[in-house]
Amino acid sequence: MAFTSPTFLLFVLCVVLVLGAVRSPRARAWLFLGANGVFLASHASRPIELLPLLAFVVLGYVLVEALRLTRSSALLWVGLSLVVGSFVWLKRYAFLPSSLGLPLVYAVVGLSYILFRVVHLMIDAKQGELGSRISPLSFFNYTASFLTLTAGPIQRLSEFERGQGETAPLTEGVVFRCFARIIKGFIRLSVVSAIFNYLFATVSGRLLDPQATLGWSQSFGAYLMSAVFYTIFLYANFAGYMDIVIGIGGLLGQSLPENFDRPFAARNFLELWTRWHITLSQWFRTYVFNPLLQLLAARVSNPRLAPYLAVVVFFVTFLLMGVWHGASSVFVLYGLFMGAGASVNKLWQVLAVKRLGKARYKALGEKPSVVYVSRGLTFAYFALGLSCLWLSLPELLAVASRLGASGVLLGYVGVSLGAAVAFRGWDLLEAGLERLRGVAWNAPGLVAQNLALGLQVLLIVSVSSFFHKAPEFVYRAF
Amino acid sequence: MKPLLVQLARLGGAVLALYAALLVITLVAVPLARGDAGPLDASRAASSLYLTEPKYVFMERGRLNTPTDKVLVLGASNSLVGFKQAELQRLLPDREVHNISVGGSNITQLGQIVELVREVQTPAARRHDTYVLGLWYGVFASDQARWYTPDRHAGDTDIDIERYRYGFFRRGESGAVPLLPPRFLSSGAALIHPYLVADQLARDVTQSLRERLSGKPHKLTDQERNARVVSDAERQQYLAFWRNYMGSVDSLSDAPFARLRRTVDAIRADGGKVVLVDMPIPRWHAQGSTLHADYERRMAQLLPELEALDGVAVLRLSGDDDDDFSDEVHPKPRVTPRWAEELAALPLFHDDNQREDHEYRSTLRQADAGFSRRIR
Repeated sequence: MAFTSPTFLLFVLCVVLVLGAVRSPRARAWLFLGANGVFLASHASRPIELLPLLAFVVLGYVLVEALRLTRSSALLWVGLSLVVGSFVWLKRYAFLPSSLGLPLVYAVVGLSYILFRVVHLMIDAKQGELGSRISPLSFFNYTASFLTLTAGPIQRLSEFERGQGETAPLTEGVVFRCFARIIKGFIRLSVVSAIFNYLFATVSGRLLDPQATLGWSQSFGAYLMSAVFYTIFLYANFAGYMDIVIGIGGLLGQSLPENFDRPFAARNFLELWTRWHITLSQWFRTYVFNPLLQLLAARVSNPRLAPYLAVVVFFVTFLLMGVWHGASSVFVLYGLFMGAGASVNKLWQVLAVKRLGKARYKALGEKPSVVYVSRGLTFAYFALGLSCLWLSLPELLAVASRLGASGVLLGYVGVSLGAAVAFRGWDLLEAGLERLRGVAWNAPGLVAQNLALGLQVLLIVSVSSFFHKAPEFVYRAF
Repeated sequence: MKPLLVQLARLGGAVLALYAALLVITLVAVPLARGDAGPLDASRAASSLYLTEPKYVFMERGRLNTPTDKVLVLGASNSLVGFKQAELQRLLPDREVHNISVGGSNITQLGQIVELVREVQTPAARRHDTYVLGLWYGVFASDQARWYTPDRHAGDTDIDIERYRYGFFRRGESGAVPLLPPRFLSSGAALIHPYLVADQLARDVTQSLRERLSGKPHKLTDQERNARVVSDAERQQYLAFWRNYMGSVDSLSDAPFARLRRTVDAIRADGGKVVLVDMPIPRWHAQGSTLHADYERRMAQLLPELEALDGVAVLRLSGDDDDDFSDEVHPKPRVTPRWAEELAALPLFHDDNQREDHEYRSTLRQADAGFSRRIR
């Protein structure tokens, strides 16, 4: 069931109407289970295709319960190995011999995000933070909620449970805001991401066409444009999906965490990851970065080395985050690239503070020219790094060898400067519109608000009719 | 629940009101007819509100439901370029000539277009159809190679895309299922008018950007095409393109040939006629392609079999001079009058009483058979 399909909208409408008519939390939980089951079933043509995924959930439940009861460190390590091993096996990572794979076609939709939730529960159970037993019904609804199964956000159990109890009746204001959020999501997903997907496909098609005989400058331009278009496409696609599920969650009385916060306003690579896929970053910070840093800090006695420990731990964390994205070798390269970005960024911060002092470093970072250049450099690094998500390893190497090291560097500088100028222009435009709105637009009435929403709906339908294939939600693949 | 239903009603009302307003505005600004009356000519698609050949043919086919003798030219881009509607019409003044060819078609898509035309025609109108099917090895590309590409839902042809685009059809288990009855096609086209206008506007505004990004060479004028000489390097590129495009280097598959036969049978079953045109390609292309050799081998067997059927004629179009083509498959504009003459010269188009003769001969055969049975 694709998020942009009428079937999904009909499904959501039914779920919202049915759940909205029921007040009992227990009955709502069972109905929600039914909805999750229907959503999962839509990803398989035969029930057997869902068995591996369900077995993974059951394994997670058994381990969480065992850890809650025993709080055994040994069991935690065994459990983590089992869960991560099963994940790697079910996802058919490239380094595993193909003969080891299950001899059947099966669904792995949402497996990555189920893994995050299961690991979170296992560690919390071991640390005694779970409290009482989680019922199997609640566990399944939490790990396989149709709202967050495909690509998050990665909600914590406590947040999820808050939305499962008695919920306040929906008011007209809440419903309008949820509708507006869902429609905004579709604008991003079906309009902005569709347009940039088209631009990306057109330009990257030229770049990767074996028949095309592009000169160096044409390859250079095509690669940079592809990288920029893909980044905007990915952002609009993923953020649009988030708007949709957060809006639907609101109609179901569930408050889902935000996953994006103007990521291209980030002034450095580390800040970017506090604004992009926020819940994933938080998960890695809680369950990888912090424990690793603590572990290293306990073993390194020299206090002068302390600031540099984070450099190493950032590298490892971002490497793991990159590798999580996919089962093929290009994702290792992606992880290395992201890891290098994070650790160089941290190293720069450490050295700059050492040289300039905290106050001067902070003051320097507030200068408008520095802000926009930093934003440009951050965007460009991220955009070039994302090439690993749309190029295979041989294609990536071919493009790199065609452009050469100087070409890649020149491209990085060029995209950085272009992005800096574009961000400055965008901010001026936004500020101008904001001023205009303040002068000319009082709070719109009910009719105007709904006409504005209606116009957006027509825009979505219109642009969808231009592109005969709505862009697939791209993070579904991860 | 009440606030939800109220909001749904408000939003629905807003959408309907806005759409009604847009419909009125676009109908006033861009009237429906817009000079699209007359015979169908898919080469005019780009200047119509439909912009592309598949959409033009899909939306305009309702005009073919008339009880007049019609010649329906159907094929890929070489049929569109090679059989100019106006040239053919001049040579066949007592018939309506329509060119409903769609660039990039394979046999499956040609079959779909025939189905779409039949869908909007009454049985009486179908009896007046003469389909001219332009054949060469390129239209025998396998569906797997042609329609299973990342830019579309797996297996959707360009015609399928038009079927689903505005919801006139829905995707069923075994193919497209019509949602809008064919008799309401023109009403459907009027209802989606704002989308068609928006599509045209968007395409016009972005044309130059799209051309720059795609890096496609500009469309050649007739003069430029007449003067064009294909270099050796280009020949190699074209041959490599077709090897890649067809999904096989050595041989064509049986499926499209079987599909062609089914399409011919369907037209004949309605009382229509078929002209199968074996389209020429430049000699260098024919000699450099293993698939063309396989096509010729298969056609040497298939065409005589089909030609022997009532209502089927075969034309082996002459001329494979390299200089007659502006690229690997499309004839130069100076060549097309000759192609039109060869096609129009077929006896099938000049025997005014052929249908009556055919029916008379059928009656005689039936009478003979009855007589023979009675004798036994």
